[in-house]
Amino acid sequence: MISPFRNQIEIAWCPGCGNFNLLTALSEALAELGLKPSQVVLVSGIGQAAKAPHYVQANVFNGLHGRSIPVAFGIQSVNPDLTVIAESGDGCMYGEGGNHLIHAIRRNPNITVIVHNNQVYGLTKGQASPTSEVGFVSKTQPLGTVSESFHPLALAVSQGASFVARGFTGDKKELKSIFKQAIQWKGFSLVDVLQPCVTFNRTNTFGWYKSRVYSLPEEYDPEDQVGAFKKSLEWGDKIPTGVIYRHAKPVFLDQVFEKLGRKEFLIPTNNYQVIFEDEKRRFE
Amino acid sequence: MPDIIITIGGEAGQGVQTIGEVLSRILIRSGFYVFSIQDYHSRIRGGHNSVQIRFSDQPIQAIGTDLDLLVCLNSETQEIHQPALKSDGIMIGMIKKSPSTSSAISINFNEMAEELGNRIFANIIAVGALIEILGIDDKIAELYLEEIFQKKGNDVVRLNKEALALGQKEIKRQQIPRQFLDKKNGNPNQGNLLLIGGNEALGLGAILAGCTFYSAYPMTPSTGVMNFISSRSKKYGIIVEQAEDEIAAINMAIGASYAGAKAMTATSGGGFCLMAEGLGLAAMTETPIVVLDGMRPGPSTGLPTRTSQGDLEFVLSASHDEFPRFVFAPRDPQDAIDTMIRAFNLSDRFQVPVIILSDQYLADSSWTFSQMKMNEQPQKIQTVIGDHSYQRYALTDSGISPRALPGMSEALVVADSDEHDEIGHLTEDLNQRVQMHQKRMKKIEKMKKETQPPVQIVGQTATIIGWGSTYGVLFEAREKLAKLGIEAGLLHFNDIYPLSTDTLTILKSVPKPIVVEGNFQGQLARLLERETKTSFDLRVNRYDGRPFFVNELVDQIREVLS
Repeated sequence: MISPFRNQIEIAWCPGCGNFNLLTALSEALAELGLKPSQVVLVSGIGQAAKAPHYVQANVFNGLHGRSIPVAFGIQSVNPDLTVIAESGDGCMYGEGGNHLIHAIRRNPNITVIVHNNQVYGLTKGQASPTSEVGFVSKTQPLGTVSESFHPLALAVSQGASFVARGFTGDKKELKSIFKQAIQWKGFSLVDVLQPCVTFNRTNTFGWYKSRVYSLPEEYDPEDQVGAFKKSLEWGDKIPTGVIYRHAKPVFLDQVFEKLGRKEFLIPTNNYQVIFEDEKRRFE
Repeated sequence: MPDIIITIGGEAGQGVQTIGEVLSRILIRSGFYVFSIQDYHSRIRGGHNSVQIRFSDQPIQAIGTDLDLLVCLNSETQEIHQPALKSDGIMIGMIKKSPSTSSAISINFNEMAEELGNRIFANIIAVGALIEILGIDDKIAELYLEEIFQKKGNDVVRLNKEALALGQKEIKRQQIPRQFLDKKNGNPNQGNLLLIGGNEALGLGAILAGCTFYSAYPMTPSTGVMNFISSRSKKYGIIVEQAEDEIAAINMAIGASYAGAKAMTATSGGGFCLMAEGLGLAAMTETPIVVLDGMRPGPSTGLPTRTSQGDLEFVLSASHDEFPRFVFAPRDPQDAIDTMIRAFNLSDRFQVPVIILSDQYLADSSWTFSQMKMNEQPQKIQTVIGDHSYQRYALTDSGISPRALPGMSEALVVADSDEHDEIGHLTEDLNQRVQMHQKRMKKIEKMKKETQPPVQIVGQTATIIGWGSTYGVLFEAREKLAKLGIEAGLLHFNDIYPLSTDTLTILKSVPKPIVVEGNFQGQLARLLERETKTSFDLRVNRYDGRPFFVNELVDQIREVLS
């Protein structure tokens, strides 16, 4: 069955790109969760990955490079009935938008962040990304990069993010299952998706990932933060996939509603004159 | 009566603002029009702070220069402000006496407060001394103290009343006669006067416009707007979120607006720099948004607590390429309320960003009004219920496409920062690009019909042109010039961009325009030159971080005219 979340728009990715499986897994996950396209908003930034929402039949806000998370936060704060997913690449989410990721973890809004992590810049043709490994050679970094690679999951777990997971586009079934859990999770969820770039990353190829990834065993306890932190640092010969860490905690909007003592915002328009007269008295 | 000007100075944290606020409220309740302005450094403690209170039984609307009364909470105040004291002015407080300071009253408010049991009473003791010197009815002062301290219990009310009496008694003990007023001055029966600050009015205007989402990063002098809206967030149900930076602030607001809220953000010039890309995002996605820039001198960090009108050209062209926008600069708190409501209405109607230019002078000053009105009414946001065929950027005659909200119908709302097709999907088709760019740009013609002409007072000899918060100063300068036999007119811009055709006609007909602005290059003058293709080369510019002062301006205008 083709998911109602797939549209007919021509896809501009390279043949063999890991994004295709991610797109299929996500659109199937949304359908299997029983959601309707009009209930979902996909927010993205800029990059090859950030084009993904255009290929999904849903509401779309394709914004600025690095800024999908604040937009997603704004949308979800105004209409909590919407399923809001911010989706972009490693350059967008971890580079340009890194600050927003940190603060979204603190706020814990009910949004899902999906990062297409191919450890390289695709749209700008092959520069090192925050997750590229030391020594990564490109036209822009011909001598190889010096900076160490960023560990998104370790950051998220260390800061107590509500839901942290890693998927691999080579395991679509697991990826779809992770997406479903992340979207259903109440609170901030980060899903880092290992996605080979067939054009610009000759190091971290499909085979490279395939020989290293393994699914977390059933006995793994994702609710133990210290254990999860250790697991989040595991990278090299063995790379774990699955739900690394999760713990339920108060969601941003619920807390705001509690403090405001209400669950709605819009003041009926005919009251504005009353508000004005009342406020005027405070300035006497 | 002639206006009376008082300056209260001291270290930050000494209570300068409290004394200013309490005295101002007592004055308006005694029937006086007050204009007050805070002058502070960006330090919480230490550093020199002052507040100027100018009052009269007639409406006034500008900062003054020559002081009648100087209240020194520390000795530095005397050093800084004594040069501005009139020859028959009075100093009170921590004063070093010298032959030139015959009318000085030495009082140590802190010591007196300690005798009463707590230094905290020093402020009210100072107020007591001031109302005694000024000759203000102490019953009005007592009633006000009762009102503000009621919540803290009867003891607190009683002690503050004692503090007030102590201040009064000290003036009597030193045998200082009541100097300025008798009780007949002012008019307590003329109805309740309102004293409201620029930032409060901007915040109130946003609330009255229906703003329910406010995200911002704190930055002087706009933080007061955020504080005001926060103080009402529970009462009216407004999300106020302190963002991690200005980039997040504007993107959050854009997200909120896309989902259907009336949303805004506020900052100062430096933060606006960070918002520039977001401004373009709002324009490209045609998402309504209101952005407030409280100006201070720059570039870069500049003078954080001073005033400026230096951001006009920046906001007119901020973000790359071209797109329509409104730029408004309110002239006073009443106008701030009306302008905010209009800004939200127009932003929604045209699906364009609206930029409000405030400045430190407007932000930190308070004006008195005998009445305030809601001259504008908030409009409900204009949306449609769509179906599966909905196109967010459908081409229309007006350039405005019907706006659906995500999740409110079967319509899918696709918004894109890339150039896009009518649905909203990104395109690199250059014909589509041209169509979409023309669609956005053609809104300007209709927007011009919505902008209001400048406030105009006709004059024969010359025409003073200004914009934004300088209105009160220019108004009073014009009156002064008239008394000197110079019949100058006034043309004051609140709506700066886009300029209407009527405005251009007015501009071409006024005699001898002199453009007065708080920047170096004459940014409004340059805009007017570009739009009217005529020269506006008579100018008065100030960029020292201080506001314009009526007396100085009168001299400068006479100089320009001679």
